Amino acid sequence: MSANEKAVVPPASDTVTIEVDGRKLQAKKGSMVIQATDAAGIYIPRFCYHAKLPIAANCRMCLVEVEKAPKPMPACATPVAEGMKVFTRSEKARESQKAVMEFLLLNHPLDCPICDQGGECPLQDQALGYGKDDSRYDEAKRVVPDKDIGPLIATFMTRCIHCTRCVRFGQELAGVMEFGALGRGEHTEIRTFLDRSVNSEISGNVIDICPVGALTSKPFQYKARPWELDHHASIAPHDCVGSNIDVQTLRGKVMRVLPRVNESINECWLSDRDRFSYEALNSEERLRVPMIRRNGQWEEVDWRTALDFTVQGLRNVVERHGPDALGALASPIATLEEFYLLAKLVRALGSNNVDHRLRQLDFSDDDRAPLYPALGLTIPELETLDAVLLIGANPRKDQPLLGLRLRKAARRGAAVMAINPLDYDFTHRLAAQVIGKPEEMYAAAAEVVKALGQMGHTAVGEASWIDALSPRPEAERIAQALMQANKKAVLLGPFALGHPQAAGLRAAAQRIAARANATLGVLAEGNSAGAWVAGCVPHRGPLGQPADRGRDTVAMLNEPRKAYLLYGVDPELDVLDGALAAKAMEAAEFVVMASSFKPSVYRSGAIGYAHVLLPLAPFAETAGSFVNTEGRVQRFEAAVKLYGEARPGWKILRVLGDLLGAAGFQYGSLDEVRAELGVPSLFKPTALEAGGAAAPLHTPLADGQLYRIAEVPLYAVDPLVRRAPALQDTADNPRPAARMNASDIKRLNLEPGAAVVVRTVMGEARLQVQTDARVPEGCVLIAAGYPETAMLGAHGPASVVRT
Amino acid sequence: MATNPKPKTAERLSAAARGEIDRWTAKFPPERRRAALLAALTIVQRENGGWLTPELMEAVADYLDVPPVAVEEVATFYSLYDLAPVGRHKLYVCNSISCWLCGSERLLRHLEQRLGIKAGETTPDGRFTLKQVECLAACGGAPAMMVGGEYHENLTPEKVDTLLARLK
Amino acid sequence: MRITQNFRHYLRAFLLTELIRGLAVTSRHLFARKITVRYPEEKTPQSPRFRGLHALRRYPNGEERCIACKLCEAVCPAACITIDSYERPDGTRRTSLYDIDLFKCIYCGFCEEACPVDAVVLTRIYEFHYEKRGDNVIHKEQLLGIGDRLEAQIAADRAADAPYR
Repeated sequence: MSANEKAVVPPASDTVTIEVDGRKLQAKKGSMVIQATDAAGIYIPRFCYHAKLPIAANCRMCLVEVEKAPKPMPACATPVAEGMKVFTRSEKARESQKAVMEFLLLNHPLDCPICDQGGECPLQDQALGYGKDDSRYDEAKRVVPDKDIGPLIATFMTRCIHCTRCVRFGQELAGVMEFGALGRGEHTEIRTFLDRSVNSEISGNVIDICPVGALTSKPFQYKARPWELDHHASIAPHDCVGSNIDVQTLRGKVMRVLPRVNESINECWLSDRDRFSYEALNSEERLRVPMIRRNGQWEEVDWRTALDFTVQGLRNVVERHGPDALGALASPIATLEEFYLLAKLVRALGSNNVDHRLRQLDFSDDDRAPLYPALGLTIPELETLDAVLLIGANPRKDQPLLGLRLRKAARRGAAVMAINPLDYDFTHRLAAQVIGKPEEMYAAAAEVVKALGQMGHTAVGEASWIDALSPRPEAERIAQALMQANKKAVLLGPFALGHPQAAGLRAAAQRIAARANATLGVLAEGNSAGAWVAGCVPHRGPLGQPADRGRDTVAMLNEPRKAYLLYGVDPELDVLDGALAAKAMEAAEFVVMASSFKPSVYRSGAIGYAHVLLPLAPFAETAGSFVNTEGRVQRFEAAVKLYGEARPGWKILRVLGDLLGAAGFQYGSLDEVRAELGVPSLFKPTALEAGGAAAPLHTPLADGQLYRIAEVPLYAVDPLVRRAPALQDTADNPRPAARMNASDIKRLNLEPGAAVVVRTVMGEARLQVQTDARVPEGCVLIAAGYPETAMLGAHGPASVVRT
Repeated sequence: MATNPKPKTAERLSAAARGEIDRWTAKFPPERRRAALLAALTIVQRENGGWLTPELMEAVADYLDVPPVAVEEVATFYSLYDLAPVGRHKLYVCNSISCWLCGSERLLRHLEQRLGIKAGETTPDGRFTLKQVECLAACGGAPAMMVGGEYHENLTPEKVDTLLARLK
Repeated sequence: MRITQNFRHYLRAFLLTELIRGLAVTSRHLFARKITVRYPEEKTPQSPRFRGLHALRRYPNGEERCIACKLCEAVCPAACITIDSYERPDGTRRTSLYDIDLFKCIYCGFCEEACPVDAVVLTRIYEFHYEKRGDNVIHKEQLLGIGDRLEAQIAADRAADAPYR
């Protein structure tokens, strides 16, 4: 009947009509049979075909009968043709599917009972649905040795059926071909070159796409079976993408995290950081009960005591030193509601010292800031860009799924360009690139502004120092590419936000975007967008309403406050200038830490300076909302019960507000908080106001000094990630070292592996020298976010001396 | 943050090899350098005494701008590349269907017995490497064997013996 | 038809044939050999398929059979089995917890049917009791202990039943 209805519609010129199992289907010209049947909900078995990967047609499972074709055809590699008649369940099709299944199972071990894929295995399911009852093969099966390819992926290579999905994933999506099909015929094996580890930041996705149990999750190995897991829809907190995740739990414990398909955000992918950070939830370092430090002694207490102690401590400080003596720092991975309540609480106490921008150094353009750091585009639109200028951004590692989209754009022919502190290893060609220390980046951005101005577009007054610049060829090339492109964007990454002259860099980026008619996007950390709209910034209230200006992160730490409220923050590691943060904390009279983790001596000095530890529920244990870089508000509920005595942040803040006598903290539910704030489903982005760009400051380097670049690697960004053991063991997370390029090492008369002491104005660190070709001349890259390097402070001159 | 992205390994190739590879890459569009992969591996293998080391494969990968694993794929697929030290003479015995039907298996057993090694091994004196290979495209003269680029067809154990005697 | 049926009915009713047949059964049993089993001194014979208390078996080399596949847990209609799995240092998949709640268990034997390695079995033990609350949940060590003690019987029973499976 539906066939008749369909037939009435005259086929559009770019579609053809095919008949599948007697049903008439419309399909796009040039598409494959399997795409048409998938769209119509007709299932054809498959292993190697994946909608997001190029077609290989090597498993042959999708054989179907096509009228007039002498042999069965693979549906994934047979283009549709007008009037084509396809039979997916005919005798011939079934027989060929059965035969293929028998071949695929020849060498497949029957170890389903111990295989982690068992229960969610396409091979298992399709063997049941399309296979034979028994095998005629009684020769010896082949055995393939397992490989150690890193801490994230476990291999059982005997189970492999050589569909090459993992190979194609590396080639086409991750951009680094790490897996290969080595050998020939029966001796084919999926391996990495010399059995090296797989280092992609999105490598975990091969676990999902592997149709058998050959590649499985190492942290999840043998932990649970898929059928016994409870599913909880949630949102990943670690970057500004807001990937949709499925938190799978067993008896109140998070067992693993898988992606939920959302084509407009994460498609069917997930970054390793979002996939494996759950391990921190079950960490031994979790804080179980509230603790207070009385007379120098830590004691475990009940919530009532802890809260009374907190209230008393805060009141004392406010009474004695005034409300301005109180400062609050929040982690950018807190929820929208938590940010809102924290800011409300601090403001109710009469202070405006509240901030979440822990890795920013320059706040001078706060008044011109938009409502929140926005991409300005939708995430899928990134793929359609024709030119992108990345400033201080390495999306491949910082927001891996945005990096994936940009790579797609680059492969389409987009000109991706970068002004970066390091020569990042992009997985696509860069049309132009300037590498230099922060001041060099700023100068290059300004040169692009100048170059755009020279191109005959409204030569309106730039600052005189910009007009005086003579753009270098690379800057000219960037300007040219931006002018020529149709759809374009300028993206500021986390490094640009943490730039010593971030305001100037932002102003320059704004000028570039305005002159080139491009979108200006900002890729901030975690739920930073949520913090902005919730008013967790010192100069604005909720939804961007004006507020009395309080102190920003740096101001709060530079002139130490008497009391600090730390919300999910490890000050030494989460603040870019960890040394400054540590000093401020040590000088404070009263420090309240709401944290999911016990402070360890190794990670921070909090045991020495904190006075209260309030166990805070991390994202999987609390409900809330995250606002992603598009402004999309995504709500989620708790997936598991609270660990120990931990409480959701919003409840802690609610009760604290109540006990402090603040008005309007009588919320009965999270919905009341949301209603009060007025949360739409999408926050419309606003633009950064144009403003003057201050001349670049030159940091003078003494003889023999290098410029220390403080970059935060992707597995050091927040307290959760830092406590996820598998991620910590990856190649993307080497222990910090003094990384320099070969010529600087030679100039300083050092050699790779040499033990050195690095000194900055803030402090020193003992590290090893490593060669890193990405580091520009005269610079030393020392990662921030690690206890070993916290005392070095932020960017700046550093001396590297052999110990 | 990989420690040392993109190590430059192309220098491991000799200048002569690079020059020869360049002649091949010149035949293809500049963005299709990988088209010269088969030739490059042949050149490098010849220069290295008949086999490829992982270091050389990596160098070729670097030189042609392809992922190392893609080079290894090619090198492990074609039986004319060797990944372990080889003898002076490589005896490639075809194991595909025509030769198999015409007695290649018997031939191989005979060779194994004569040389005292198994297929895939090299004689201790470094004279012969015996290898089973996929179709040599000499079905008309089955069973066939390739020795040092030369075809020997319609082989019998006796013919093989005379051949072995000639190869020093 | 109907007439003949009615006739037979009345004939039987008047001749008391049903009563007589019933009494015949009674009187036959009155004189037959008595089969009352004087439990617990006497016990009824058991089939090799008898489904009593659970046990976990080992291989002859002492290695536990169970591989923590959790199929028994999944198939159990009473949800009385609780298993936690882990990777033993030697890389094999093993249980860190194997609990059976004997109050919940309905002794259906599905767990035994589902087991791919014949690890969990139902033994012939049917006389057991608990003295404390919580004793009704038996743990892995107890189950393995039962298996160790009764292995000869268990193996013999499986062998006896094998031809019919």
